[in-house]
Order: sequence, then structure tokens, then C-alpha cells
Amino acid sequence: MAYEYAVELRDVTKRFGPVVAVDDVTLSIQQGKFYSLLGPSGCGKTTTLRMIAGFEVPSEGEVVIGGEVQGHLPPYQRPVNTVFQNYALFPHMTVAQNIAFGLEMRKIPRGEIRRRVGEMLELVHLSGMEKRRPTQLSGGQQQRVALARALVNRPKVLLLDEPLGALDLKLRQAMQLELKALQEQVGITFIYVTHDQGEALTMSDKIAVMNQGRVLQLGSPEEIYENPVNRFVADFIGETNFIPVEIKGDGETPVVGIGAEAVRAVWAKDALPVGRSAVLSIRPEKIALRRPGAEEAGAGRACISGRVVNLMYLGTDTRYVVRIADDVEVVVRMQNVSSAAHFFRIGETVELTWDPQHGRVMDVV
Amino acid sequence: MYRFLGKHTSLRAWLLLLPAALWLFVFFVAPLFIVLAYSFLERGTYGGVVWSFTLENFQRVFDPLYFNTFLRSFYIAGVTTLITLILGFPLAGYIATRPAARRGTLVLALMIPFWTNFLIRTYAWLTLLRTNTGLINVTLLSLGLIKEPLSLFGNDFAIILGLVYGWLPDMVLPIFAALDRLDPALIEAARDLYASETKVFWRVIWPLSLPGVVAGSMLVFIPSLGAFVTPAILGGGKSLMIGNIISNQFLAAHDWPFGSALSFVMMTVMLAATLIYFRVTSGKERRQL
Amino acid sequence: MSVNAARLSRRSRAAWLKKRVAQTLFSTYGIGAYLFLYLPIVVLVLFSFNDSRSTAQWAGFTTRWYVEMANDRQIILSLWNSVFVAVVSTAISTVIGTLAAMAMERYRFSGKLMMDAVLYLPIIIPDIAMAIMLLIFFNLSGIGFKPWEVLFFGVRLKVPFSVIIGHVAFNISFVAVVVRARLAQMDMTLEEAAGDLYADPWRTFWRVTFPMMLPGILGGALMAFTLSLDDFVITFFTSGAGFNTLPVRVFSMIKKGVTPKINAVSTMMLLFSLLLVGISITLSKGGDSESSIDRAV
Repeated sequence: MAYEYAVELRDVTKRFGPVVAVDDVTLSIQQGKFYSLLGPSGCGKTTTLRMIAGFEVPSEGEVVIGGEVQGHLPPYQRPVNTVFQNYALFPHMTVAQNIAFGLEMRKIPRGEIRRRVGEMLELVHLSGMEKRRPTQLSGGQQQRVALARALVNRPKVLLLDEPLGALDLKLRQAMQLELKALQEQVGITFIYVTHDQGEALTMSDKIAVMNQGRVLQLGSPEEIYENPVNRFVADFIGETNFIPVEIKGDGETPVVGIGAEAVRAVWAKDALPVGRSAVLSIRPEKIALRRPGAEEAGAGRACISGRVVNLMYLGTDTRYVVRIADDVEVVVRMQNVSSAAHFFRIGETVELTWDPQHGRVMDVV
Repeated sequence: MYRFLGKHTSLRAWLLLLPAALWLFVFFVAPLFIVLAYSFLERGTYGGVVWSFTLENFQRVFDPLYFNTFLRSFYIAGVTTLITLILGFPLAGYIATRPAARRGTLVLALMIPFWTNFLIRTYAWLTLLRTNTGLINVTLLSLGLIKEPLSLFGNDFAIILGLVYGWLPDMVLPIFAALDRLDPALIEAARDLYASETKVFWRVIWPLSLPGVVAGSMLVFIPSLGAFVTPAILGGGKSLMIGNIISNQFLAAHDWPFGSALSFVMMTVMLAATLIYFRVTSGKERRQL
Repeated sequence: MSVNAARLSRRSRAAWLKKRVAQTLFSTYGIGAYLFLYLPIVVLVLFSFNDSRSTAQWAGFTTRWYVEMANDRQIILSLWNSVFVAVVSTAISTVIGTLAAMAMERYRFSGKLMMDAVLYLPIIIPDIAMAIMLLIFFNLSGIGFKPWEVLFFGVRLKVPFSVIIGHVAFNISFVAVVVRARLAQMDMTLEEAAGDLYADPWRTFWRVTFPMMLPGILGGALMAFTLSLDDFVITFFTSGAGFNTLPVRVFSMIKKGVTPKINAVSTMMLLFSLLLVGISITLSKGGDSESSIDRAV
């Protein structure tokens, strides 16, 4: 590909009257990758997508596709295609006519249209359905038609607006894998809007987490999950503990106080001043429990004590709730790998240990 | 399904229907057949009929003197329908694209003429169009924009204008209903798939609003074809439509059998149009309007 | 910025301009269309206050045409006739039409298709055809032209039965259509719920079904009332000599010539229509989600 980035957003802001839907977003999306815009409803992810598609024009900033500034160009002059949330299949056309629509609009010769539509039907496993109307198809089939209708145009970028939202759970999971495989097969840049963090983690090469019109973090699924930069990201993706702490030291691995105890941790993003109240974010599976006075913890592991107040046996693992202070409870998930020695009872006093690299210090809000 | 009346549903249904059925069979269906019967009778000397069978009335319908009026009525109703469609579709589109809060007001503003008396609305145009004393000619003459009064009245132009004005809301409302139900995502999808504004219109908006267009055209064409008040007032006694010819047979010529034959032919044409409408549209589409 | 920036920005500006021009044209058209609908009515009302016999040249403000209208006994009498015919025919057709709607919407029975046709026909066929049908029928049968002498709000009226019969005949269909639309929207499970909660069919009807139907019934009645008040053609042909409703009176006045007095009568009728529209909006707001469209078509 000639240009490194498929899509660039430069300081893009979109206002609807007094409401700021997208707030100064800058984002560069690499060629041929699967990107997700992830966030709760109303976070501005769909508006961002619609600005790339050309359905909305930014109030400020620029949308650049394939190195070209788009400005007020209408959707039909942009080299992108969209898979709509409720598919938006034309009810008065057959499956084949739906898929052929974009090619017809671009005056592709008839023979080529027929060939490409046939290829597409095969690609999305809908051969033999070309004469049907959208209303005669199941939800999953409609989804595939919508996908085929967009992909057949070989867009530079495919935009997908929660395309799996209307499907039931099982079909959704199957389609997630299929979509990812399809993206790798065709090599087109996908920008996928979703509020489902599981979906985003499963499929994406890169995830942009959005809230209140801003991109909070851009990174691979592992980066987002392992190294969330703030409380919103940590909370939105996966399960995590937020332990109130006070900052007692600086440097790369500062010391933070939990009640009377103190542990080492790392900064989530920027260093905070000594004395400030903050939270320590630790994922439940990063914490290990042990009986006090048992074998030594690994060197340098953080360690505090608490009391088991609740437990839930979940098969592969057990979920403990451990009280470490009067009003602070921590969730711990331990895999059920070996003997009963690992089981703790309600009321038992335990020690919690973790690698300080996994304790990330961030602002309270 | 729970029904508020139990068994013998057929009997109970007919009990509920009895008053309506009686009224309509006596005062509508019976008169309909009487008109049919009359159209095969000979005219009496002083109005009324002579009870002997003839087909002459139907032959006279095709007498150029009358048949031309028939054709003219079709022409006027057709042109009226076409003009209301051309004017009404963009108006329906205009309303459908306004913000939701203003849409209600605009629909209401369309309903108010719909609820006001047709006669009065026709009269309003009479005061505007009359040749020497109409507002338009008087104003244009006094401004010196014209030297001779324009002939705006007593012709097909005046009748068509009156009919378009009278029936425009009937065209707009069903089209608006169809456009209002159109998923905006379909338009966006078409634009996303490289369709220009023109292509979006002809390939997506038009086919999907067709049920509304057909319904609106029916609602305009049928009453326009049977118009009586508009030609009577704006035709100025010179330009007539089939409705006036029919009424003349009863009010002036006292040829009731011929009047019956004329109205029977007119009704047959309209019923045929209605049946075609019911054929080409599904029940679901009609209910959506 | 890329090398293509200039070319692209030109295309983008053209697209923006095209969109703005299209939007402006569209809005202008919309406003123009509403002006077309309302200007003739505004002019009509304006010239009802014109201090001259002309309805084309403004000669100052007066209310004398309204005074003349109020003193015209023919007009006042025809107004009472109109109201009486509308009230009576609305009352009869609302009851009959509602019963018919219930039968048509809630039952399957032999002859339903025929009844459907009989109920729809009066809506479909033009009023001139219905008018001459009734004219022939009343002449042939000899019933109907006998006037009904009645004291209505202290005014002595002579109303031919034929007119009321004719109005009911077309109003039944309109009431039935409106009430049926309402019934079709109704949630049948509410009746099932009432049955489940120990209400017998009779009480289910009066406590659940009827209250839910009521907005539809009132809507139908209002439609019938409006149609009856506005009707000219059927009244004109079925009234025989010497009986005028307001539209019939206005028609014969128009035939004699245009005067601001007709504008005054028209303005009064317009105000009455506006009042009815107001009532219907209040009803539909209190009632349900039934959109204005459902009532219109």
C-alpha cells in the first residue's frame, strides 16, 4: 500500500447544537488492520464512524482517507463502505441486487458485476440465495448480505457499526470469528464500532477506547487490558480492583500506602505527587492468596493481609472476596489447578501477594 | 383469542351489523341497482321514466357530444393527479425531512385545509381568478404589468388549479406516511454505495414510497374525475366535466335514464381503477398508509 | 498535507455548495407550497372586512358584511339546518358505524367480504354519483321528501328526512373505517387479562374494550360531523325545493355573484372548521398514539 495510514483523524470535533459528541479526537489507523472503537453508548464512537463515512461533517478538524483530506465530500465520493447496525438492506431488491448496487452505481460492466457478486456470495456462504428478498433471510444471513454488499466494492476501509448487535449470543460468537477470518483474508482495513469489550478483545488488532467524545487509550488488546492508562479504561475492560491508596514515594516504582501497610507499584500513566490520594488497580487474577506464615512469597512481591468474606466456586477458578480494611474489599480469582491446600474458607485470615508491575496507580477519577 | 361475545359468532356479527346493513342496503345498495335499472329505460315526457328496455342511453354515452366531455374529464383528472404528484412529492419530502417537533405542526397545517369546506376553498379561487374583477387580474392591471386581463377563469386551467388546490393534501399525506416510514439508514446505505442524490431518489426513495404515491393518486384521481363543484364554480358555465353533464340530466334536461347511464359508466371506471389499485398493492402496504 | 489537497478541497467545496443550494431550494419550495395552500384563504378572510362590494380592491376596514350576514334570515336558518342535520346524522351514524366496525374487526362470518364492499363503496364513489342515486331512490319510493318539523334551540326547522338519511348513509362508512382502525390497534391481551381477572364478557366490554375504543368513536363522530356540515352535493340533490343548509345557501349565493358577504359567511365556516380541528387534536392527544395520518386517510 502506498500510504501507511488508511484513515487519519486530525483534531476532529463534532458538535450537535450545544452537545459535543466528539471532542478533539486525533487517531491514525494503519492499513490492513482490524481496529475497534470501543466505548459505552453515547461515547461518540458512532459519530466518529459516521464522519469517516461522510454522513456527518466534522465541526472542526479533518478526516483524511488514504492521505486525502475529505472535507465535505459526500459518502458516495469516498472510498469507504459501511455495514449498518440494522443492515439497512434494500427491502425492494433481492440479495443479488443489494450486493450489486454499489457496483452498478459505479457503472462497472454487467459481466464483471455478475462475477464479483457471485464471488462475494461464495465468500459469505450465501450461494443459492441470490434471488431471495432480505425479509426472507435470517438475522445471520442478512448480516452476511450487508457485509457482502459493502465488501464487493473493495473499499479502502470497511466501517462496521455494531453489526452483530442484533444477533443472538451463539451466532454472534460464530460471526466474530468469521469476521476476523474474513478481514485477514481480504486484507482491508476494518473499523469496528462496538460497546462489547469481549467482542473488541476477540477480533481487534488495535482498540481505541472512547468515553465522552474522547479517545482515552489506543493500543493492542493486551496493552489495553494489561496496562490501562486510567480508571475508566481499567473499569470498562475486564474486571479489576480499585484499592484506595496514598502516594508515599516517587520514581518509577513508587511506594503507595494501603491503610497501615505499604507496597510498591507502577504508574498507570503520569507520575502523581507525593501525598495525593489515588487508586491502585489490580486485576483479580494477578493476585495470589496464601496462608500467613506459609512458604516465602517470591522476591519483591507486594504483600498485604486480609480476611476471606465470600467465595464462589466457578469451576476453572474460584472467586474470593477478601476484606483488607473496614470498607475495602478485593476480588481475587485463583485457578483451581491443584490440591485442596489452595482452598480457603470464609473467615480465614490470608495474605494477598502480587507482582508490583501489576499494581497500577492512577487518579481517583 | 378471547372474544367479548361467545359462540355463534356469525349470528352475533350479523346482529351487530344489522342496523348498518339495513341502512346501507335500503339507502345505498338498492339505489345503486335502481340507477342501473334506470339506465336501461326510456325517458318519460316530464322527467321520470317509461318502463321499456333500451340500450340507447349507453349508445348516447359514446355520442361525441358527451364522450368528448368524458375524455376531457379524464384528461383534467389525469393532469390534476400528475400536477398534485409533482407538487406533492417534494412537499411530502420537505415535511418528512424537518425535525420531529416541527413535522407534527406541518402535518397539522396540511390537515386544516383538508378539514375546511371544499366549496369555500373553491370560492376563494373564484375571487382570485375572475376575469375582470378577480384579485390577480385587478392587481396586475393596476400595476400596469398587463394590458388585457389574463384568461384565468372559465377554462380548464381554472378547473385544474381548483382541483389541485383542493386535493393536494390528499396526495401529500399518504406519500408523507410512506416517507416517514422509510428507514433513513437505507438512504445512507445507498449514498455509501456510491449512489448520487438522483440515483438515491430513483433507486431507493421512489420505489419504497410507491405505495404512498399510488394511494395518493387514487385519492386525487377519483374525486377529480367525479368533480362537480369545481367545474360548476370555476368552469364559469363554459368548461364542463362529466359530473356537470350528469347533474344537468337531472336538474335541467330531465333525462334521468341517460343521467343514470352516464353515472353508471363513471362509477364502473372508478371501481375498475380501485380494483386495479387493490390488485397491485398488498393489504399490508395499504394498512401502512 | 498531501499533494492532492488542493484538488480534493475543490471537490469538497463544490459538494458543500451543492448541498447548501439544494437545501435552500428545498426549504424555499416547502414554504412556497404552504403559502399556496394558505394565501387564498387569507385573502378570502381579508376581503370579508373590505368596505366595498369588490373582493379585489381594498377600500378600508368594515364589519358591515358580518352585520348583513347576521341579519340575513335565510343564512341564519340554513345555519341552523346545517347544525341540526349534522347533529342528528352524526348521532345515528356513530352508533350504527361503531357496531358495524366491531362486527367487521372482531368476527369472521359468511358475507363479510360483501359487507366490506358495501361499507367501502360510499367512500370510494364520488358524491355526485351517490347524490343522483339517492335522488332517484327518493323520487321513486316517494319516501323522504316529507319534512321533519322540529323545534331546535327555539328555531322552527323543516328538515326533509331524505337529507338526514343521505348523510347517515355516507357517514356510517367513515365512522366504521375510523373505529376499525382504532380496534385494529388495540391490544387484545388486555381483554384476555380482564377475563383472567374474573370479568365476564359484558363487563369486559364496558370496563376495558369500550373505554379503549372511545377515542376512535369520538374521532369517527367528529369526522362524520365535519363531513355532514361540509356536504354540499348530496344535500343539494336530496333536499327537494326550498331547503337549504349553509353550503347549499352559499352555493346559490355564489351562483348569483361574488360579494364580501359570502366571504364573511366563509370566514365563519372556516372558524367553525378550525374549532373542530382543535377538538380533534385535543381528542387525539388525550387518546393515544393514533397519528394524524391515520385519521386523514
